[in-house]
Amino acid sequence: MRTDEWSECLRLIAAEQDRAAFTRLFRHFAPLMKAFALSGSAFSASHADELVQEVMLKIWQKAAAFNPEKASASTWVYTIARNCRTDLYRRLHKFDTAVSAEDVGADSETEEAVVLLHSRRSSENLRGLMQQLPSDQRQILAKVFMEGKSHAEVADELDLPLGTVKSRVRLAMQKLRIQIER
Amino acid sequence: MKAMPEFHPDLDLVTEYAAGTLPLAQSACVSMHVSLCVQCRHLAAQLSVLGAALFEELDPAPVGDAQLDAVLARLDEEAPLKYGTSARLAGAVPAILQRLMSGDLSDLSWQAIGRTLRISYLKTGDPDHELALYHIRAGGRIPEHGHRGSEMTLVLAGGFSDADGSYDRGDFLLRRPGDVHAPTALQSEDCICVAVLDAPLQFTGWKFRWMNPFLKLRTG
Ligand SMILES: [Zn+2]
Repeated sequence: MRTDEWSECLRLIAAEQDRAAFTRLFRHFAPLMKAFALSGSAFSASHADELVQEVMLKIWQKAAAFNPEKASASTWVYTIARNCRTDLYRRLHKFDTAVSAEDVGADSETEEAVVLLHSRRSSENLRGLMQQLPSDQRQILAKVFMEGKSHAEVADELDLPLGTVKSRVRLAMQKLRIQIER
Repeated sequence: MKAMPEFHPDLDLVTEYAAGTLPLAQSACVSMHVSLCVQCRHLAAQLSVLGAALFEELDPAPVGDAQLDAVLARLDEEAPLKYGTSARLAGAVPAILQRLMSGDLSDLSWQAIGRTLRISYLKTGDPDHELALYHIRAGGRIPEHGHRGSEMTLVLAGGFSDADGSYDRGDFLLRRPGDVHAPTALQSEDCICVAVLDAPLQFTGWKFRWMNPFLKLRTG
C-alpha cells in the first residue's frame, strides 16, 4: 500500500470530500496539467485552463475509484489528464462520437499480481533511470508522450529517418527496463 | 510478400496507444486486444507509468488562484461517484465493442459479400478509419485481396489462417499497404473479427473484382 502524500489526498477526497486535500492536490498537479496541455502547442491558453478544470473535477468525482494497490496517484492523475486532453482535442475538432478516450485508452491499473509487482518496482526506479537517459532519447519520449506526436511526426520535426526515431524509442525503453518483448 | 506472423500490436502501436495519440478506431481495436491479452496489458500499464514520470517532470505552468476558486465553486455540482473497482475488465466481448454495437451480435445489420463473408460497419466517430465486424463462415475463404492502406485485425471468435500463419481468439495483426492475402476461417467454427481500415480492401481475382466499388470506406 502506498501512503504518499498524493494518494492520501485522494483517499481523503473519496472518504470525506476533503476540500483542503483537494486544494493541495490542485496546487501540485494543476500546473503540470497546464504544461501538459500547452506542450506541443496543441491548445491555446484558455483551452489549457479548460482542461485543468475538467481534469480536476474528474479527480474529485472519481477519487473513490483510485486504488493505491494498483497504481500510484501520479500515474492515475496522468491517465485522467491524458484521456481528457484527447477528448478535448476531439471536441475542438468536432468529432461526432459517443466514445470517450477513457473507453478505449490504456489503463494504468492492472489486476494481475505479477504485473503489479513489476509496475510498482518500475515506477520507483523509473525516475532514477530516466536521469541517465541520453538527451536525444529522452527528447523523443517527451515528444511522443507529452506533445502527443506520432513517431512519424517526431521524425519529420527532428528531420530524422522514421527508423531512427523508432529505434531510439526502443533503446530508451530497454534502458528504462520496460519489458517490451511479448 | 511473406511476413512473420505477429499476434500482438508492435511496440510503436502500443506506445502511441499508451500515449493517447492513436486515432479513435485504431485505439478501440488495440484496446480490445489489450483486454484479451495479459502481456500487452502489462506493457501498456508500464508505458502509462512512463508517461506519468514524464508528466511529473514537465516545467509547471503557473495556474492562478482564480482557477482554483473556479474549480472549488463547481465541486458541489459534481457529486463524487461511488464505485470501487475499475469498470473495464477482460470479458467475453470487450466492453467497448458492446458499446459500439449497442446490442447483440445478432441485432447488427450485416452486408453479405458472397456466401462466406458478412460485414457489419460500426460507428465510432473516427473521420479517417472504418471499423467493421467480419463474420466468416466456418471453413470459408475470403477471396484474395490487397490493402492500399493499413488494416488492423483482431480475432474475437473462432480463428483463421493465411499464408503467413494462423490466428486465434485475441490475436492481433496489422496488414500494411501492399500486403495481399486470402484468409480462411477454421473448419470447426465461424470466425468473427474486428477490422480497422484506412483505405478500402481491393479484391484481386477477376471473379470478385466487381465487388470493389461496393467496398467504399465507411468512416465516422
Ligand atoms: Zn498482445
